[in-house]
Amino acid sequence: MDEYQTEEETAFIVEDVSKIIKESVEAAIGGSTYQHSRVNQWTTSVVEQCLSQLSKLGKPFKYIVTCIIMQKNGAGLQTASACFWDNSTDGSCAVRWENKSMYCIVSVFGLAI
Amino acid sequence: MSDQLKDKHQRRERRTVKVPSDGSHGVRVKEATIRKNTEREIIVSSMDELGHHDENTRMVVTMENTYQTAPHKRFPVPAVTHILKDVLSSYLQQEKYEVEWSQKMTKTICEVIRARVKDLMIPRYKIVVLVHIGQQAGQSMQMSSRCLWDATTDSFACYSFTNSSLFGVATVYGVYFE
Repeated sequence: MDEYQTEEETAFIVEDVSKIIKESVEAAIGGSTYQHSRVNQWTTSVVEQCLSQLSKLGKPFKYIVTCIIMQKNGAGLQTASACFWDNSTDGSCAVRWENKSMYCIVSVFGLAI
Repeated sequence: MSDQLKDKHQRRERRTVKVPSDGSHGVRVKEATIRKNTEREIIVSSMDELGHHDENTRMVVTMENTYQTAPHKRFPVPAVTHILKDVLSSYLQQEKYEVEWSQKMTKTICEVIRARVKDLMIPRYKIVVLVHIGQQAGQSMQMSSRCLWDATTDSFACYSFTNSSLFGVATVYGVYFE
């Protein structure tokens, strides 16, 4: 027998994704202060953790995860996104996180297969 | 609008009885239009192409299976990179970083890039455009991204532009829709 997923199970739920992102960022960076040598490791682990948690949701999506870590010294940064996709199935979620010494912006895009 | 088309619309407004054809080819057969004012019955039989009739008379079109498993045309990374380079350099070349300008500019550039990539007409690809503009103030920054997708069909293009006061990074992801 084929197993069918209901609409609820196959939708992109922003709350869940945003929770996953926040957890991953907390786990990877937590209260650390900005260290140039560790940024590479941090971005990698944030992205990796997000992606592994997202894939565990078992939904029919392709995911794009990006993570930006920027040192805090008064410099500004703007990001924007535009998508060409099916609004009814696909979704995105962006989370801005900061501590005393850095900003971390994570965006996730989920595109239904 | 041609007279013929106008005539068609008028007839539809009066009363149209439609007999759908088998529906899988996007055409339908229109029959039996009754004109009340003349008490005459005129039988009209015509084939309409889809997209020419009103919202409320639209039928659900069932497409035939294509049995297509791979894209005919893959995401053209060099062409998209060229677009990014073109757009970023032309919009940011002479500019100085300002917060409000930058907020507007990221959105504008996003829209422009999306429109330009759409114009490439890459069938069955979904497009995600990400644009960042930041101030150059001696800070350090790192961006990384990772995707869960089919590497044989999906791809991305990235370009970064810098001048003395700001930097701009644009990334376009092309994801094949199966």
